[in-house]
Amino acid sequence: MASPLEKYYEKFEDYEKIAIRYNVKIEGPALKPEDDPEVVEILAAAEGDKKTLALDVLYGDKDKTDSDVAEALDAGNDPIDLINNALMKGMDAVSALYTKGEYFLPDLMLAGDAMMSGVALCEAKLGHKADSKAKVVCCAVQGDPHDIGKNLIVMFLNANGYEPIDLGRDVPHETVVAALKENEPAMATATALMTTTMTGFGKIAALMEEEGLDIPIGCGGGAVRRDFVEETPHCFYGVEAYHTPKLADAIVDDGKTWEDIRKEYAAIVGEYVAAYS
Amino acid sequence: MAQKAFTKMETKNVDDMLFGETLHPVKLGLGQEAGNGMVYPNIKVAPAEGSEESIDGLEATSKNIAFAACQRVADIGLPSIQIETEHVQQQSISREASERCTAVTWEQLEELHDKFGTRVSLMSTVADMREEENGLRGSEFDIAMDESFEACAQNGASMLCIETVGGKVVSDYGISRGDARAILYGIGVLGSNDMEYMWTKIVDVAKKYNITPGGDTDCAQANTAMFLAGGFMSKNVSHTIAAVARAIAGARSLVAIECGATGPTKDCGYENPIVKSIASVPICAEGKNATCAHADLMGNLTAGVCDVWSNESVYNREEMGGPTPGVWLQSLGYECALMNTAKQIGTAKELRDSYVLADKYRDPQGVILAYDNAYRIGEAIVADGEDNYLRARAAALKAMDCINEAVDQGRILLTRFERDTLDSTYKTYEQLPDDSDKFLKTCIKRYSRKVKEHDIKQYDL
Repeated sequence: MASPLEKYYEKFEDYEKIAIRYNVKIEGPALKPEDDPEVVEILAAAEGDKKTLALDVLYGDKDKTDSDVAEALDAGNDPIDLINNALMKGMDAVSALYTKGEYFLPDLMLAGDAMMSGVALCEAKLGHKADSKAKVVCCAVQGDPHDIGKNLIVMFLNANGYEPIDLGRDVPHETVVAALKENEPAMATATALMTTTMTGFGKIAALMEEEGLDIPIGCGGGAVRRDFVEETPHCFYGVEAYHTPKLADAIVDDGKTWEDIRKEYAAIVGEYVAAYS
Repeated sequence: MAQKAFTKMETKNVDDMLFGETLHPVKLGLGQEAGNGMVYPNIKVAPAEGSEESIDGLEATSKNIAFAACQRVADIGLPSIQIETEHVQQQSISREASERCTAVTWEQLEELHDKFGTRVSLMSTVADMREEENGLRGSEFDIAMDESFEACAQNGASMLCIETVGGKVVSDYGISRGDARAILYGIGVLGSNDMEYMWTKIVDVAKKYNITPGGDTDCAQANTAMFLAGGFMSKNVSHTIAAVARAIAGARSLVAIECGATGPTKDCGYENPIVKSIASVPICAEGKNATCAHADLMGNLTAGVCDVWSNESVYNREEMGGPTPGVWLQSLGYECALMNTAKQIGTAKELRDSYVLADKYRDPQGVILAYDNAYRIGEAIVADGEDNYLRARAAALKAMDCINEAVDQGRILLTRFERDTLDSTYKTYEQLPDDSDKFLKTCIKRYSRKVKEHDIKQYDL
């Protein structure tokens, strides 16, 4: 059956006066991921087995990562060295390509799966968990089943050497506070998609205060606004999931408080952030 | 099996697809007949933060929203209004909250009708609070939702709707990892299966109270893909994958109609043109007057074949033009006036085609939702109508054919990411078995292992 729209196509003079696919316009030449100059620099020190593992992560190949890690461990490589100088380097390269717009969410998630699987094998060999920079408690708040944003945060934290404590979605406020008390994390993240669940941020903060804790809580999600978040002490507005490790670094390395982050967010994440302009 | 599959197209000619026109119009509320010559505005406003603290608060915010909307109807002379109460969890979890919020909203609408004769209706959308790991069937939330539907039906709802979440844990896994098989299984198989369970119940409640069982939307799945795909500068999900997820959603959301729902369907089901092509039931849609909530790439196109036109959702607060229920209703009302004028002066098809062509080649998602291609996808679905898996796969393959044709005709360009994901998805789907049981067996094994929340016992498979 012919489309009723066919009769119009010959009349179009210039579709770009109607809409322009800017994503196509800005594409550069195709490069192999490992040939990207930034990736070359990140992987410069990785050689032999470590280069192989970093590339396994870069290509998000979990099965190959597993078998190559097993092989590298059998060959006598130090598990910590493999984590820090092979698997994490591969993930650093993935993060760099994601930030530049060369890699996309699936690349990131598959690479994260590959890296974490490799890390688990190294930790099994070690007999204990590898050292992390710090713990971060992560949740989608009570009443909110939307957790993709939280999952991204967990993935970015893992990729940057933190130990995320993933509480899942629709997490009761009391459970979050119990986890804060038990784990003493450097920070927490709480996400919500809806206006009526984002009120959970304040409830978590209030319960946390009752327990005498003062842990910065990064709050974000679909309907969340900076002005709303900043009504509550301890909380700051988180804009992008990939900002999380930089915010955690600011707390862990530079001793920044939630109040500092409110003032210095854009400088900490190193980019222009409209919500903080 | 409650689901009576469509195996042929109700709409016989693609050119019959038009806003405000269906073969199966639906009488609603007071004086409305959706899909019978007139397009109605659907205004939806989220309860303000803090109002969920008490039932009094929820009731007060519901009245406030309905009052502001009805006042604007009178002020600018709108001939009709549909208010949608899309529940937050606190409204659906409590029978009393469901009752009081529905009743107070309907009171305002009824008063408007009594005073001015305005055509009015109330769409009540119960929140799907279920989580797969805690039980999709028979769980505490599932039972509370049954209660909420009853409460809405008893207290003034003209129609019942929902955004079911079956299969979401698997489709989320697939969407975020570009796993085409998980998307097909999560939406096309699990989503459809869960809908049959839920819609059998909803239709029974609607019949009991002589109101309308409206429809569903794949908000939990295909909209997740669409939002993650985002705009052109987004770095997340491929826009071609989002288009594929949407085509599969067409096969999925049809299940509501097959279980006895009659439309109007839910606004954020961007797959609705596919459903309308098959079933010729009224659909609700959203686009350029829903930018308060969604930044989609099809703002005009989605108006082309709608019967009810929605703003999706907005904060309940003051804008320079007044309270948001009034502001956004006004925006919707003027768009409906344009459509209803075109119908009366005989330019409806020209307006439809202008709407559609304005966005058809902006993005691959527009290509497949333009009514001509939506119709082709509909034909692919009914050709395999009796098997949820096969028809979902057929929808996806046809959608990719439509995109490839548009590329070959030089009407749209794809990025490498979009091209690569389209090609790999096509290849994956082509190589899948024609035997549903074989596909299911593989997927159950694979995703029960990969997705920890996935529990096959929550489905009737």
